[in-house]
Amino acid sequence: MVRRRLLALASAGVMAVSLAACGSDDGGGGDENGGGSDLGASWILGTTDSVTSLDPAGAYDLGSWTLMYNMYQTLLTIPAGENTPQGDAAESCDYDDPQTFTCTLRDGLTFANGNELTSSDVKFSIERNVNIEDPNGASGLLASVDSIDTPDDTTVTFNLNKPDTTFQFVLTTNAAAIVDEDTFPADALVDNAEAVGSGPFSMDQYKAGEQAVLTANTEYDGPKEAQSERVFVQYYQQPAQLKQAVENGEVQVAWRSLSPTDINDLKNSDSVEVVEGEGSEIRYWVWQLANQTAKEKATRQAVAQLIDREAIAENAYDGTVDPLLSIVPPGFPGQVDAFADKYGEPNVEAAEKLLADAGVQTPVNLTLGYTPSHYGPNAVDEASELQRQLEDSGLFKVSLKSAEWEQYQNLYKEGAYDLFQLGWFPDFLDADNYLSPFVVDGGFYQNNYSSQQANQLVEEEQATAEAGAREEVLGELQQLVAEDVPLIPSWVGKNVAVAGPGVNGVEETLDPAFIFRLWTVSYDG
Amino acid sequence: MASAGGSLPRYIVQRVLLIVPMVLILVTIVFLLLRVAPGDPVSASVGGRLSEAAQAERRAALGLDRPLYVQYFEYLGDVATLQFGETISDNRPILDIVKENGGATLTLAVAAFLIALAIGLPLGAIAGRFRDSAGDVVIRIFGVITYAAPVFYWGLLFQLLFAGTLGWLPSSGAATPVTIFEVETKTHILLIDAIIAGDSDAVVDVLEHLILPAFTLGLLLSGIFIRLVRVNMLQTLQGDYIEAARARGIGELRVLRAHAYRNALVPLVTVIGLQVALLMSGAVLTEATFNWPGLGNELIEYINQRDYAAVQGIITLFAVVVVLVSIAIDIITALIDPRVRY
Repeated sequence: MVRRRLLALASAGVMAVSLAACGSDDGGGGDENGGGSDLGASWILGTTDSVTSLDPAGAYDLGSWTLMYNMYQTLLTIPAGENTPQGDAAESCDYDDPQTFTCTLRDGLTFANGNELTSSDVKFSIERNVNIEDPNGASGLLASVDSIDTPDDTTVTFNLNKPDTTFQFVLTTNAAAIVDEDTFPADALVDNAEAVGSGPFSMDQYKAGEQAVLTANTEYDGPKEAQSERVFVQYYQQPAQLKQAVENGEVQVAWRSLSPTDINDLKNSDSVEVVEGEGSEIRYWVWQLANQTAKEKATRQAVAQLIDREAIAENAYDGTVDPLLSIVPPGFPGQVDAFADKYGEPNVEAAEKLLADAGVQTPVNLTLGYTPSHYGPNAVDEASELQRQLEDSGLFKVSLKSAEWEQYQNLYKEGAYDLFQLGWFPDFLDADNYLSPFVVDGGFYQNNYSSQQANQLVEEEQATAEAGAREEVLGELQQLVAEDVPLIPSWVGKNVAVAGPGVNGVEETLDPAFIFRLWTVSYDG
Repeated sequence: MASAGGSLPRYIVQRVLLIVPMVLILVTIVFLLLRVAPGDPVSASVGGRLSEAAQAERRAALGLDRPLYVQYFEYLGDVATLQFGETISDNRPILDIVKENGGATLTLAVAAFLIALAIGLPLGAIAGRFRDSAGDVVIRIFGVITYAAPVFYWGLLFQLLFAGTLGWLPSSGAATPVTIFEVETKTHILLIDAIIAGDSDAVVDVLEHLILPAFTLGLLLSGIFIRLVRVNMLQTLQGDYIEAARARGIGELRVLRAHAYRNALVPLVTVIGLQVALLMSGAVLTEATFNWPGLGNELIEYINQRDYAAVQGIITLFAVVVVLVSIAIDIITALIDPRVRY
């Protein structure tokens, strides 16, 4: 059932979160006997991701969250191929006002251990995460929660400490995964062996750094019905090992993080298929505005005018990434190609004019920083390609500098580079997650960009409930970034997996959410 | 150090007591090196995502903002009480890591050692016996190459050939996921657990996975054994007792086997102790190459994550193992060779 309610509220209009309670009411995961006899054969997913914890309060990394998305339910979820939250454990959720969010749970939910899942478990899960505040956890995502009310077993009301239209997206993340209050301690992380959820799979075995074994949860009630009885997740340290394993048929699916070279190589293989979906991981170049060179807006704009993203994607990444024309990748509501709108195609004359109008002497000396130890060997190629583009214009003289990731983080803050490369992977699928961390008060990377207008626009989009009005503000904010150029977007990666013969449903899960939905995949054996 | 004419028990006690300062020096060096290296567990995990203030909060929560000497003495206290604590990056008790991953390292090390002996001893003996022959030259070159070439180089070559091109053996891991899942863990040594379970398919599966990494690591050691056995064979073959044996009309084969070869192996026992350190460091690289779920693989992962607690714990364990084996070898040498006096 789908419910959309437009709330008539005074100022903000209303944000109605439309939720689809897609699952059947009869407990979709399997039959009563727990046999799951009509489920597909077991299969193996290989990955280079690592796992920090199976406790939602103890992890904030993709490796852990991949398992959690399959083990736990959240109130809301992002269905494959979509970008708006819909119901998982919740039958419906709505903003009562921009600071109050109410969800109604499905009836009869249970955890894999048979315990009942009620609104009390939801409240416990969120409050527990906030209270534990584990250094490896994601409690920071729940910062806007002021209090939680549970008037009955199926109703949860979140009272927020500020208008927060992104909260519905936070509820799709594992920061808000629902745990069993009878099993999980309130003030400490649970042992991995005891982690239990109500998701489409339950954890049968977890050997840190080696493998996880998930079995279809017959108690699961929701839209994520498992297609396979059992899934093995095997962990690799090196992408080369993973490539060889999938080529040899030792794993049926390889997902994250094969290099562009490996991917292109595997595209020529007869034994596997490379499946690509839209991604949300981005790379961008940040100006350190404390540096004299970067302080000059015309210099920043001139580089934005010169950068040839198509050439970077092709020459540095063998075409395995797409040019990024705004700091927000395509597909997000409110996204506009702000840098394309502002600068159009790469143009040396236009860049020269920008510099000349501002009285900037050319060639401008520029130091570019990058770190292959964190972003891989292709970061070198990208930096070299950008250097070539800028120097070919005759307007810049570029020196490249690289450092090991740990050192790099200090160096870019200290101003060792005028322009430095960083990457980003969203916490949740909302354009705000690509804007507020970067433009408010110099961003997390401390590049000394300060714009009252940017701060106000962020506040406004976070508080605007009406979708159209919010998208307009988001667009305005992206145009401001293109004008001020505190950073230059470079590319957005694809969500790539490699599948062996007999595997179905992989393409379905490869979307910008970067959730590997094990439940969508089946294997013919 | 023991002096000539001292008793063996006294020597053993001295060597055991020496463990303490040796381990202390080692853990201190590891502690300092990790702190001197750029970065920390927080910047390694969430650097590039969180502001400096947010990272500082996490450092404070982990106690990383406390003075170094406080952290150091706290760590020494943990080591002294064998309470190594938990990893910072994934909250695993260090002793659990040792328990769960140590078996894989032990399996690999023992298998590699046996392979090294199987290759090194006969080849070294042949090279020594037929000095300067074509066979000697080939064996010596083989010994130099296997010792000089990085272990990951051989590993990658074997993977490409035997797992990739020929498809005879699995490329990585300790067993297939199904075997790991189905074999009940009793000893944390998968091969033994599979044998206990009476699961012949699992045993075969584990052995198939073991061949390439064990052979790779074994080759590294075999080069050393070849050279040592060859040199010792040359020396013993020049001994008067060899001449005397031949003069008594004892057959050449028996002279070689019973007199020359056996005596040539005695110095090898001493050297084996020294090779344990090489075996451990080689195991780290071999495990990384073959995704072998041992302590070495874990060590690399935790180094990348700047997980101080895990790295300190695992290296301390490695150090203690090396020291203990060295002492054991000293004692064994003294017992089997009556010429050794303390």
